[in-house]
Amino acid sequence: MAAVKQTIDQVEQLEAYEHGFVTDIAQDFAPKGLSEDIVRFISAKKQEPDWMLQWRLEAYARWLAMDAPDWAKVSFPKIDFQDLYFYAAPSQKAGPMSLDEVDPELLKTYAKLGIPLREQEVLAGVQGAPRYAVDAVFDSVSVVTTFKKELAEVGVIFCSFSEAVREHPELVKRYLGTVVPTTDNYYACLNSAVFSDGSFVYVPPGVRCPMELSTYFRINAQNTGQFERTLIIADQGAYVSYLEGCTAPQRDENQLHAAVVELVVLDDAEIKYSTVQNWYPGDADGKGGIYNFVTKRADCRGDRSKVSWTQVETGSAVTWKYPSCVLRGDDSVGEFYSIAITNGHQQADTGTKMIHLGKNTRSRIISKGISAGKSSNTYRGLVSAHAKATGTRNFTQCDSLLIGKTSGAHTVPYIEARNASSKFEHEATTTRLSDDQLFYVMQRGLSQEEAVQLLVNGFVREVLQELPMEFAVEAQKLVAISLEGSVG
Amino acid sequence: MSLSEALKSRDASLLPSRRDEAWRYTDLRAAVRVIPEPSPLGTVPTTLGPFAAIKADRSLVIINGRGPEVLSLDAGQVLCVELRLVADRHTTSHQSDLRIDLASGAQLTLLESHEGLGSAYLSSANLTIHLAEGASLERVVILDEPSDAVSVITADITLSPGASLKQTVLTKGAMRQRFETQVTHPGGGANVRLDGVYMLADKCHADLTTVVNHVGPGGTTDQLTKGAVRDASRAVFQGQIQVTPGADQTDARMGHHALILSDRAEIDAKPELEIFADDVSCAHGNTVGALDEDALFYICSRGVPLEEARAMLVQAFGLEVIDRIETEAVRQVAQAWLAGLGAGGSDGL
Repeated sequence: MAAVKQTIDQVEQLEAYEHGFVTDIAQDFAPKGLSEDIVRFISAKKQEPDWMLQWRLEAYARWLAMDAPDWAKVSFPKIDFQDLYFYAAPSQKAGPMSLDEVDPELLKTYAKLGIPLREQEVLAGVQGAPRYAVDAVFDSVSVVTTFKKELAEVGVIFCSFSEAVREHPELVKRYLGTVVPTTDNYYACLNSAVFSDGSFVYVPPGVRCPMELSTYFRINAQNTGQFERTLIIADQGAYVSYLEGCTAPQRDENQLHAAVVELVVLDDAEIKYSTVQNWYPGDADGKGGIYNFVTKRADCRGDRSKVSWTQVETGSAVTWKYPSCVLRGDDSVGEFYSIAITNGHQQADTGTKMIHLGKNTRSRIISKGISAGKSSNTYRGLVSAHAKATGTRNFTQCDSLLIGKTSGAHTVPYIEARNASSKFEHEATTTRLSDDQLFYVMQRGLSQEEAVQLLVNGFVREVLQELPMEFAVEAQKLVAISLEGSVG
Repeated sequence: MSLSEALKSRDASLLPSRRDEAWRYTDLRAAVRVIPEPSPLGTVPTTLGPFAAIKADRSLVIINGRGPEVLSLDAGQVLCVELRLVADRHTTSHQSDLRIDLASGAQLTLLESHEGLGSAYLSSANLTIHLAEGASLERVVILDEPSDAVSVITADITLSPGASLKQTVLTKGAMRQRFETQVTHPGGGANVRLDGVYMLADKCHADLTTVVNHVGPGGTTDQLTKGAVRDASRAVFQGQIQVTPGADQTDARMGHHALILSDRAEIDAKPELEIFADDVSCAHGNTVGALDEDALFYICSRGVPLEEARAMLVQAFGLEVIDRIETEAVRQVAQAWLAGLGAGGSDGL
């Protein structure tokens, strides 16, 4: 089949990573390797109070006794944790009060990202810039936080994690580690010991956050693990939408990224968490690329609370990520919408867990996996209902699209029902692009490329629709770019 | 870690436990603390097997792990065989191994039953089945074991192109019971149907595990498992469909649908797809839920008592699978099995 051959040829050329550049600014490193001293060093660097240091040290001690998980359908060389830098901060003093203080190189980096979001203008202080609050994480340390004032007026706290530790210790102490316990898993435990920075959001009772909160993560220094820690709390009746977008420069060495995101949702509150992840996936031979081992979990503690995860995963060499919902409150709702695209030698093992503990809890999972090239794409998910979680409902749909003969698509759902009034439905399909559909679209005058883009876009539409408007545009482009020429 | 090894060395620590991914819902180590004494010679059962109503050409009996070890069919031979695996002792353990070879074009109807006439035994049965080109096997299995037995039955089935496998398993569970079927599917016009029905009550446990590995192009697999759990019983369904590189035009479908009739019962399902070829069509569907209230109400409104209405619905649910059995006489035995369970059960619902 000529089309298939063409596909394979094109996929092979598809590794020109758009965002592969390095910003050259001096970095402040901790010595290579990991030890108790490094943990102390990071804590001291960030001028943390003693309780925070103790928390880190305890996590470190626990981590030493743990083994790296090996159950995911991904393979990569063993990580030498003694060969990594665990802390890298821009040499410039963190947390400038005004945009003028921001290193122009940094602003250039954002410019180069060329993402249609206009946070850049916000960062540059352009008049009449749209209202997004951006908390930019530049290699582990939040450099600038904008719109803080406007948010402060309604009582929303949106700041870097280290600032939260200093200024809102009571909130951090109360919620940190309550959703993802220190010892939850190997990488979460590592993160607890060495996390560098991240975002902190607190939305007070009854407040609807007046703007979309957004953060850009970017891994910049070579051989640096980035360990962000994000904690978002929506108090009773609050609503917040949080956007996270990621790009990273081109590197030869594999880089480790082990983040932890904790969401706490109280009565009647709602959090919408959207991610677009486009880190460097490695070169044409599968060399380099980011290891993305992330623990994301939401705890719907309150009755009638709601969490919605939306993710578009197109980057990273290895992805290991399961944004989950613990539906503890009665009538709480969890949603998971995912597009995972793998190409080249990428490996993704991603999915979700919906743990129904409260009565009449509902969850919905829509996962769209697309694998091309020599990649491997796995959906792994758990839906469980406790004996007391009566009246629960789940609907799961996992669709996989295969492009090319050398890619793999896997579906590994776990369903555990423990009471007589739950209703779980799961369906999964794996196919390739239908020849009939392609033919139909092409006979209307579209080129093969356009036809494929149209069909793929249709395939993932259900998920794209869940993204906030500004993100959806970017994501749609990303889907097209990720698969450019890879289909036939 | 396997039951065979544990039986051989009589070391219970070699039993698979929930820490082994493939056994996460069927923890043998927790159920068996000590491997019981090996079973002594048994006696030929005086009772008839569940398929006694069918006139089989041949009857094979394996008692406490002892009996024939090979069954071969010549090319083109057509045979109906009743195979009874019987455990007639209390608190003993044994293993049975049987090899079945079907030469090209042979047709075997295998009426297999696992009968527990004893109690609290630990039993392992391993079947190795090979189907040559164009051979066909219809395997219908009834598992009739006591609720204190631990039993693992595995079948490793290899098909050649053009062969056909049709399997239906009927079980009411045991203390721990696992029925595992591994199929190597060559494609090339071979087709596989793997069905199962479980009807569990009390504290019974049944695990239906299948792995179908498509290694060549153009194979079809059709799987349907249905069941109901009541009281504090637990059903496990693990189905994996693998498509290796090059096994294009594979058409595989898997369905698992379950009724959960009690808040103390549990259903764990893990339908898996592992696909390495792009020109395939694979799907699985899985549902778990309660009896349809509207249907219950409708039947009751026609004057049928609630208990009876419930039993009717549960039976009808399982019948869909049984109706797929092609040989009529065998289908009737299966229908009788289902009717004989009295599959209603109130459990305060």
